[in-house]
Amino acid sequence: MSQEVLNPSAELATEATTKAEPASASVTKSAAPPFAISVRGLSVSYGQLPVLRSVSFDIARGQLVGVVGPNGAGKSTLLKAMLGLLTPDRGVVCVLGEPVGQCRNRIAYVPQTEGVDWDFPITVRDVVVMGRYGRLGWFGRPNREDRQAAIEALELVAMSAFKDRHIRQLSGGQQKRVFLARALCQRAEVLLLDEPFAGVDAATEQAIFKLIERLVQEGKTLVVVNHDLSVLNRFDQVLLLNQRVVAFGATERVVTDENLRRTYGGRLTLLDRADAALRENRGRS
Amino acid sequence: MIDVLAQLDFDWSQWSVPFSSRWWQETTCSVLVGIACGVLGCFVVLRRMALIGDALSHAVLPGVVIAFMLTGNAGIGHLFLGALLAGLITAALIKLVSQYSRTKEDSAIGIVFTAFFALGIILISALPRGTHFDLKCFLFGDPLAVGPDDLLMMEIVAPLVIVTIFVLYHRLKITTFDPVVAAAMGISVSAMHYLIMGMLSATVVAGLKTTGVILVVAMVITPASAAYQLSNRLSSMLILSGVFGALAAAAGMSLAFVTNSPTGPAMVLAATMIFAMAMVLSPRDGVLFKILHRRRVRLHIDGEDCLKAVYRLLEAGEAALRGELASRTGLSYSRVAVSLRALRSQRLIETDGEVVRLTSPGHLRATNLVRAHRLWESYLAEEARADVGSIHDEAEYLEHAHELADEVDETLGFPERDPHGVVIPTIERSGGP
Repeated sequence: MSQEVLNPSAELATEATTKAEPASASVTKSAAPPFAISVRGLSVSYGQLPVLRSVSFDIARGQLVGVVGPNGAGKSTLLKAMLGLLTPDRGVVCVLGEPVGQCRNRIAYVPQTEGVDWDFPITVRDVVVMGRYGRLGWFGRPNREDRQAAIEALELVAMSAFKDRHIRQLSGGQQKRVFLARALCQRAEVLLLDEPFAGVDAATEQAIFKLIERLVQEGKTLVVVNHDLSVLNRFDQVLLLNQRVVAFGATERVVTDENLRRTYGGRLTLLDRADAALRENRGRS
Repeated sequence: MIDVLAQLDFDWSQWSVPFSSRWWQETTCSVLVGIACGVLGCFVVLRRMALIGDALSHAVLPGVVIAFMLTGNAGIGHLFLGALLAGLITAALIKLVSQYSRTKEDSAIGIVFTAFFALGIILISALPRGTHFDLKCFLFGDPLAVGPDDLLMMEIVAPLVIVTIFVLYHRLKITTFDPVVAAAMGISVSAMHYLIMGMLSATVVAGLKTTGVILVVAMVITPASAAYQLSNRLSSMLILSGVFGALAAAAGMSLAFVTNSPTGPAMVLAATMIFAMAMVLSPRDGVLFKILHRRRVRLHIDGEDCLKAVYRLLEAGEAALRGELASRTGLSYSRVAVSLRALRSQRLIETDGEVVRLTSPGHLRATNLVRAHRLWESYLAEEARADVGSIHDEAEYLEHAHELADEVDETLGFPERDPHGVVIPTIERSGGP
């Protein structure tokens, strides 16, 4: 326990998690690979600005993991790197025992809703059907089964009454639920959610959480980037992130005042200065 | 005025001349260009690439000239390949510059396309004299240069573009709507980007002779923007945009023919007319629709106010006369007359000369309104703690939300009298509202 709190390096954090695994692994399939997600030494930078520094962790199947950290901690970047949308400087990501590129249909991603053109000429149902597009191939068209899956997904998020609406007519919480339905429609085993609760009222937050818990009961693995510290106790495991893994493990052990202070207490400025110094040296040589 | 118009070289006598077969050839070619540009334009507009569309049309110029220099042939096939290549190189260069420098994308577009365009102009001016290669034709378009070759090429390119979009419809849709999620699903976003760029270059070079480099972008953006105002689905936007493109081309060609003006500008103005009409007539946020909607709401409220005034007069034991209604509601006589006509056609009232009577459905409606008004007054006084003297005006407005009256009633615990001490009417619920 004290080791978990104090360990400064990601490698140690991983060891601690691996040790904690037998206690928290509730779902184990006989032929299934040991980890749903395995990240090793992942470093990502935008230009010369480092965003993630040698991040390592393993997530067992059927876990509900919350990723928490301050603004600019690299939470969304971590999700994008796990999806293979960014080229990391170093490090490997394996999902379900394979490199991400090989199992894209088994991972679903729910992005933040800000970047989307909500005036795009498209109805709610058409957005949700897009969850099936990964399997269609180049020339494929969604068939009746795909459309049925979309309707079922909309029923799960209680949005089936809105299926023929244009997306412009949705409120913020409804937009989130439609994006969630699109991911559900994909019937993936691993779901990565980027701030599904941002700008959502309390009732919608409860509804989304119920749905998330139901997915976990079905044996799916969920990683949820979250801003709100008050709901952390609903996660099985929590990953405290601030460019590096501050702590990772079972919620009750990881979420301590000490760890949160270390997560939110500012960057490791010495590391930033070391980066700057290294860049200058490289420039000179 | 006549003098000013007379200066324009419009040849009205052309109205009576039957359109020549040559005109048909040029128009068919332009209509095909209009369709292809319109359909592709949807993706350009939705991907916010309007500037790239402009850039591509300018940047194909050096490709065309170099192809001409290499082959010594102004045949459309060669020029087409040169333009296609130049277009794709431009698209790739823009990506490169914005990715590997601090330059923002729009600046990168500006830098690359102007450079290409400048190169093209220098190459053209360096061509030996007497060469059959006309800069003006490329800049402003010249329908007289449209030959059977151009028509043939458009007859290949336009259906090819439409078939490609039909076949790859869903891929194009998801990469346009949500490129990040598409990439996460393993759908190649950049392949679709370059496909659109390639098709756009091909269409633009085909449209060069009809509209010219400078104006061809209007055929890409304007019909698609008009369709965007009117559609709720991508498929309908594509079809509508294609139709608009074709219409603009045909209307522009006819206009140019009868007014003896250049075809490109005429087509662009026709497209702009269509866009303006879509803006005004759009059911979603068109100006006309908004005015009509406001008018309908006003008529509805006037009608309800009149109905209520009749009810109140009858409640007080007075006769409801037209003149009395106007003073009670504060509406003008003509507005009262319009409202009464509407109420009569809905069979809510009967009129007998000056006297107005309520029918039984009218009585029910009016009771509902008065009830809503008095309930809202109670609500404002009790729940919102508003001053009793000021609640009437606010309730005048809130009473039109009479659907909520039952909830208000329940919240207040079914009061019998309003804050002024007047009885709140009740409604017997035997058969419906």
